[in-house]
Amino acid sequence: MIDAIGNIGAGHFLALAAVLFGIGVVGAIMRRNALIVLMSVELMLNAGNLTLLTFARLRHDMKGHALAMLVIALAAAEAAVGLAIVVGVFRSTRHANVDRLTTLKY
Amino acid sequence: MRAVIVMIFLAFAGVSLAPAPARAQDAQADRAVPAPQPPAAPQSQGAGNAIVFWLFAIIAIGGAIAMVTRRNAVTAVMFLVGSFIGLAGLYVLLYAHFVAVIQVLVYAGAIMVLFVFVIMILNKEEEEPWALRGIFGKAISGLALLYFLVRLIMVLVGAPKVSPEVAGPLPTDFGTTKSMADVLFGSYLFPFEAVSLVLLIAVVGALVLAHPAHPNVGEEELS
Repeated sequence: MIDAIGNIGAGHFLALAAVLFGIGVVGAIMRRNALIVLMSVELMLNAGNLTLLTFARLRHDMKGHALAMLVIALAAAEAAVGLAIVVGVFRSTRHANVDRLTTLKY
Repeated sequence: MRAVIVMIFLAFAGVSLAPAPARAQDAQADRAVPAPQPPAAPQSQGAGNAIVFWLFAIIAIGGAIAMVTRRNAVTAVMFLVGSFIGLAGLYVLLYAHFVAVIQVLVYAGAIMVLFVFVIMILNKEEEEPWALRGIFGKAISGLALLYFLVRLIMVLVGAPKVSPEVAGPLPTDFGTTKSMADVLFGSYLFPFEAVSLVLLIAVVGALVLAHPAHPNVGEEELS
């Protein structure tokens, strides 16, 4: 137990990434505010980034860092388009509640 | 709320079940001897590393939990910024200095400012923060969390150890901007350019989507 706390290995980082991804999944599923859902998606992308960097450190491979950079750029694009969609939905429906957006459902 | 806390607690219990890395003095002794390296222990460099890791891990996880549970969206954004800064510290701990700087600049700076702007535009409190209600929804969510935890602990226990020839002494230029550029503008040049195109399309798409829809604009242009 003490050894697992005092000696930080790759498993610690991977477990932390899994926990963060789980929190992101919980937020994306359970929250109703579309903005919080988007933020949870960003959190999940960051958990994936942490996994990439951990394996890059483990394998001494800089390609993981390059992939993490691409993920950050794609997250920026996703945030821009997602927030634009949220603003557009709010303009037409006057709310941003994902549970009440059932126009395409039926 | 309580289920999330229990999940975090059990996840950390799963961390302690993870394959324990070798002792610190072993790792330091192996830095001189190249051939037999104890696997899964490249980061074990003493107590300072552990203190920094737990500090930033608590910041990241606490910020993430607070982000999910806050009712006010602006508070959630602030907690998410804290979580991202904690993650940047963890990136530094993984020798990813450049990615850590970009994390603070792009994520904690630009993207979160974008979120704050949109929240200021919308600025509407949601009436129900949680989607799953009743005993049935709570049972389903609890079962899903339990399944996630069991899978997480199984992965941590049964994680394969890295092969010894991979884990040697770290290259001196690992994580620097120069080695980053060598990869990004070398073998990853095409994905890099593709991402630039994606960013361009995202900017145009965001402009088209967020543009105020005047019903008369299209007809005026047509006539």
